[in-house]
Amino acid sequence: MKVLVTVKRVVDYNVKVRAKADGSDVDLNNVKMAINPFCEIAVEEAVRLKEAGTATEVVVVSVGAKQCQEQIRTALALGADRGIHVETEGAVEPLVVAKLLKGVVEKEEPRLVILGKQSIDGDNNQTGQMLGALTNMPQGTFASEVAIDGDKVNVTREVDAGMQTISLNLPAIVTSDLRLNEPRYASLPNIMKAKKKPLDVFSPADLGVEVTSHITQLSVAPPAERQAGIIVESVEQLVDKLKNEAKVIS
Amino acid sequence: MPTEVTSSLLRELQSIVGENRVRTDDDALVQYGKDWTSAYEPKPCAIIFPGCIEEVQAIVRLARREKLSIVPSGGRTGLSGGAVATRGELILALDRMNAIGDFNPVDRTVSCGAGVITEQLQQFAEQQGLFYPVDFASSGSSQIGGNISTNAGGIKVIRYGMTREWVAGLKVVTGTGELLDLNRGLVKNNAGYDLRQLVIGAEGTLGVVVEATMRLSRPPKELAVLVLGVPDMSAIMEVLSVYQGAMDLSAFEFFSELALQKVVEHQKLQRPFDTPTDYYALIEIEVSGEADMDTAMALFEQCVETGWVLDGVVSTSIAQAAALWRLREDISETISRWTPYKNDISTLISRVPAFLLEVEAVVNEQYPDFEIIWFGHIGDGNVHLNVLKPEHLSMDEFQLRCSEVSRWVFEIVQRFGGSIAAEHGVGLLKKDYLHYSRSELEVQIMRQIKQAFDPAGIMNPGKVFDQ
Ligand SMILES: Cc1cc2nc3c(=O)[nH]c(=O)nc-3n(C[C@H](O)[C@H](O)[C@H](O)COP(=O)(O)OP(=O)(O)OC[C@H]3O[C@@H](n4cnc5c(N)ncnc54)[C@H](O)[C@@H]3O)c2cc1C
Repeated sequence: MKVLVTVKRVVDYNVKVRAKADGSDVDLNNVKMAINPFCEIAVEEAVRLKEAGTATEVVVVSVGAKQCQEQIRTALALGADRGIHVETEGAVEPLVVAKLLKGVVEKEEPRLVILGKQSIDGDNNQTGQMLGALTNMPQGTFASEVAIDGDKVNVTREVDAGMQTISLNLPAIVTSDLRLNEPRYASLPNIMKAKKKPLDVFSPADLGVEVTSHITQLSVAPPAERQAGIIVESVEQLVDKLKNEAKVIS
Repeated sequence: MPTEVTSSLLRELQSIVGENRVRTDDDALVQYGKDWTSAYEPKPCAIIFPGCIEEVQAIVRLARREKLSIVPSGGRTGLSGGAVATRGELILALDRMNAIGDFNPVDRTVSCGAGVITEQLQQFAEQQGLFYPVDFASSGSSQIGGNISTNAGGIKVIRYGMTREWVAGLKVVTGTGELLDLNRGLVKNNAGYDLRQLVIGAEGTLGVVVEATMRLSRPPKELAVLVLGVPDMSAIMEVLSVYQGAMDLSAFEFFSELALQKVVEHQKLQRPFDTPTDYYALIEIEVSGEADMDTAMALFEQCVETGWVLDGVVSTSIAQAAALWRLREDISETISRWTPYKNDISTLISRVPAFLLEVEAVVNEQYPDFEIIWFGHIGDGNVHLNVLKPEHLSMDEFQLRCSEVSRWVFEIVQRFGGSIAAEHGVGLLKKDYLHYSRSELEVQIMRQIKQAFDPAGIMNPGKVFDQ
């Protein structure tokens, strides 16, 4: 069984991002970049399927600028077999990414596609679902457990009310949630081996997709600063402030 | 010396700092009477919390008049019993003197009250776009005054040096209650002896550090952490020299397989890789571009080819770097449940391999039935040798056996011209062994220096050496 897994290059989630002075975008100058954490989990899951003998090949794909080959190489070091880079310029919105991925799916014909449930930069939570619609494949989103069962895959999903387990016909799409697994470290010997693994580059035109844009970002702004705390003199004062200022109790 | 304060003395102390800033309740006496060591029974007479330099001076003058000894107390994370009060001393806790004062961006210095928590200074520096590089696992509790008084080292010494390098100025209340204002932040000042340097690392025996002007540095760019599996101790030093020869390292630490096992089990962490190796080296590098990572990889290949390294991982995100650091940084806390006997020894980096071989041989021979945990700042020639207490031994028996073996270890240290107290200080724990690292004459001069700062001998007496 071939598994296709997606990775996105994003700002490292421990970096405190700043808005550019003109508020047009987040300042990405000299900022540490990394694999989107949910994608990292997706890669780990695919590699585990391969290690368990369920998957025969793991193909990793990333859409973005030239630099995202760095993240593809990391995924190859984590255990993926080969990489596909769809090279684009500037920001691409989820619908375009989903169309490009559809192109890759048609080329590769994987039995399973694993994506992160969302990327931590855009927070869109759309690509996996859109890909499902475009390819007509069943989808299991927010997965915390994935089990292949013959020509089906059972996906346990984290939903508001608790857990839900569903069964999808393969080929299918799964998007990973935080508790699906704990990704491994990139081993240095594997990073070296990854340098020799094949990595193909495609343009959107190669996949028959026209990059269009329907969304314009108007501005970005940092969150409101939290006010400094104060030390109250007595319990009475605390209760008074909670009642009358914070209005959290009555 | 009385272990209880008389009510008239108590009133005098209270009149200096305010009534509820002198504590004599049992909880406080036990809590403030000891540091991280567990071998001593705390017996202070009281704890006093001054809020400013004048109050510290008044307390010291009163103590001198009453022949009352003072134990300066910081975050009490010390590992040598320096802040322990066993003889009815008055504990002078600097917790309230925790204000961060003037920041000078041109000089890149900031003034701190002695009670500023190390982490507080690190965060302040970060807010200014700068960096305070002294760091270790206890920096969330230790104080700048305590760091200075122990000349604390930590995990970045290989690049940034010890606390001493970062102290630009120091205000000290001596044993006579007088205030010294030392060096005032100057970069160059050869006008006579640098008394500041004597107070740094004096473990509170010369006076109370009340304020410090600390230097800050440019923050590092991106950092990457490598953990490498190494078959034996001598290979660790080969790896060090290979990496140090080609790159600027900001840390080079090591730990043993048993240390890793305990940390992974108790802190619920992930092993870096499955291959078990006897030792692990943790290397931190500053990555300014792809070329740096390529160099690190090439060096890794070289180390694998020579057999010095068997496996390894590298962090690809800040979270992974932090998680890999925890494998090393959580060791002290993890093993504290076995009340370990700690050795903090050092030698010249060039002599580490031969030194470790001998220490290892003695330890294996003398402690065949004990669990030994090795870790430390090996890039500085500093190892922490920790012996875990087996459950069936009483604390007294355990201490006795460990101190016997210590002599063997310290004899090797002496032969190698090393130090029996590399970064944790002498305090009470290493006092009896000082002569393994210091000559008679050196200790005699130390006593004379103490006499000059503290003629009445009230500042942390009985620590480092007997008067
Ligand atoms: C988990 C853990 C990890 C550690 N790792 C390291 C490490 O990597 N490197 C390292 O060097 N140390 C390490 N330590 C030891 C310890 O944290 C340092 O020695 C630290 O500098 C002590 O600071 P403190 O404020 O807790 O001092 P305390 O323990 O309160 O006091 C230490 C000594 O300084 C004196 N003192 C304190 N404040 C003053 C003052 N204002 N004026 C005069 N004298 C004063 C005390 O009397 C005592 O003698 C570690 C400790 C722990 C618990």
